[in-house]
Amino acid sequence: MRLIFKNLNILRSIINTINTSFEIKEIVESAGNNLPNLFEFSAFGVLWKAESTLYLYQEESCPSSFTQEVARNMVRVFSILGEEPNDLDRVTLQVEKRKLRPSHMMMDPKATLKSYLTLPLAVEEEIIGCVSLNSDQPNAFDAQDLQFFSVIGYQMAATLKHFQRFSSVKTMAIYDTLTTLYNRGYLEERLIIEAQKSFYGGIALSLVMVDIDHFKKVNDTFGHTEGDKVLKEIASLLKTSVRKKDTVARYGGEEFILILPEAGLDEASMIAERIRRLVESTLFEVGQARMNLTVSLGISNFPSHHARSKEDLVKMADQALYDAKRGGRNRVCIFNPA
Amino acid sequence: MAKETKGGKWTSDLVLDLYSSLLSEVWEVVSALIGEAILELLFNLSIKKIGEKYPFLNSLKVSEEGISLEKMREDYRSMPPVEIHRGFQSLFNHLLNLFSALTEGVISREVFPKVFPKVREAERLVSQK
Repeated sequence: MRLIFKNLNILRSIINTINTSFEIKEIVESAGNNLPNLFEFSAFGVLWKAESTLYLYQEESCPSSFTQEVARNMVRVFSILGEEPNDLDRVTLQVEKRKLRPSHMMMDPKATLKSYLTLPLAVEEEIIGCVSLNSDQPNAFDAQDLQFFSVIGYQMAATLKHFQRFSSVKTMAIYDTLTTLYNRGYLEERLIIEAQKSFYGGIALSLVMVDIDHFKKVNDTFGHTEGDKVLKEIASLLKTSVRKKDTVARYGGEEFILILPEAGLDEASMIAERIRRLVESTLFEVGQARMNLTVSLGISNFPSHHARSKEDLVKMADQALYDAKRGGRNRVCIFNPA
Repeated sequence: MAKETKGGKWTSDLVLDLYSSLLSEVWEVVSALIGEAILELLFNLSIKKIGEKYPFLNSLKVSEEGISLEKMREDYRSMPPVEIHRGFQSLFNHLLNLFSALTEGVISREVFPKVFPKVREAERLVSQK
């Protein structure tokens, strides 16, 4: 009985994660992170028809032959469910590998697919994809696994359908049209979720506030069109400098915020310093001229700075940014409570 | 033509009764495993497919509450019982194949012991002289 309660709690947590996700990749990753608490599997897959993409979250030691076998099988099962035959060649494969097993239980390089559970992702009689658990072990799943997995599949289908309905509206609502970074509205929502995860889970969270130094001069000297080009280029540098799980958003004007989940002060400082150096060493084409620009960055962190809310974290990062500006610009400052 | 048994009940009715109870049992077991919504979808897919050969199956009404044979009983009482049996047999074969394709043996293991004896019983009913 105690085990059932434990599993139900894990299931609740997975459903909650799915519900609060903003993108399919996020759903797959966060569900994948939690699924090992419920099932022993080698690969977890979500085939989404709307994007013709198969997202696979799998054990690090999965041989590529196993990955292909899982992909082929999912496409085959989906074809049985759907009216049109589906071709693996037309499906984009996105694979995330994670350590799901201890080292002594690594997969055999010749491992083959021995058991699986696949369920349609269906909403209002429409099949929008399928979801699958796969194992290199025979009879890896039983009736109770299927019960739990069907609840996860049901929730996933509802969330994906929601994404599908609102994808165009969402694009407009969450992206900054100039830089294509996330906008401030999305940033606020994302920050609520990440702060909740951190504050309740005791997980590190860092914020980095970035401001382009002397940007007003660029606008005044070269005009707003050239200024916009600079903003786009810096946005692109920011995007390429962060980790997959980080969020980069335009906070307003020439200010940006990076949300760095699970990043302690050291890691946040490293990322911020990398950005500072990258911008400093880039030659920006502004009008007919080529010029160097710099950025100032302020960092706040939970739990190091004892922030009690997301607002605290933003204020602290802002204060640190102010210190960086006051200290001469082109530098990274960590929030200093003194 | 449908035959009347000694008890006065048409064989077609008996075959329908038998498959009605089998559908209820399968619904109960499988919906507990994969949920009503997915099961409804799988039933509808199967009916659509097998209904091409046995159109009477299209009168089955499937919803998240279960499967109703009411309309089928009204419309196909006079249908030869062997035809009803063959239709349902194909439907269950298709469903079992679908369950296997999705979850290998996990659903089939639970369902097969229920389906097999009932189909045998229907076979016996329709072959009675």
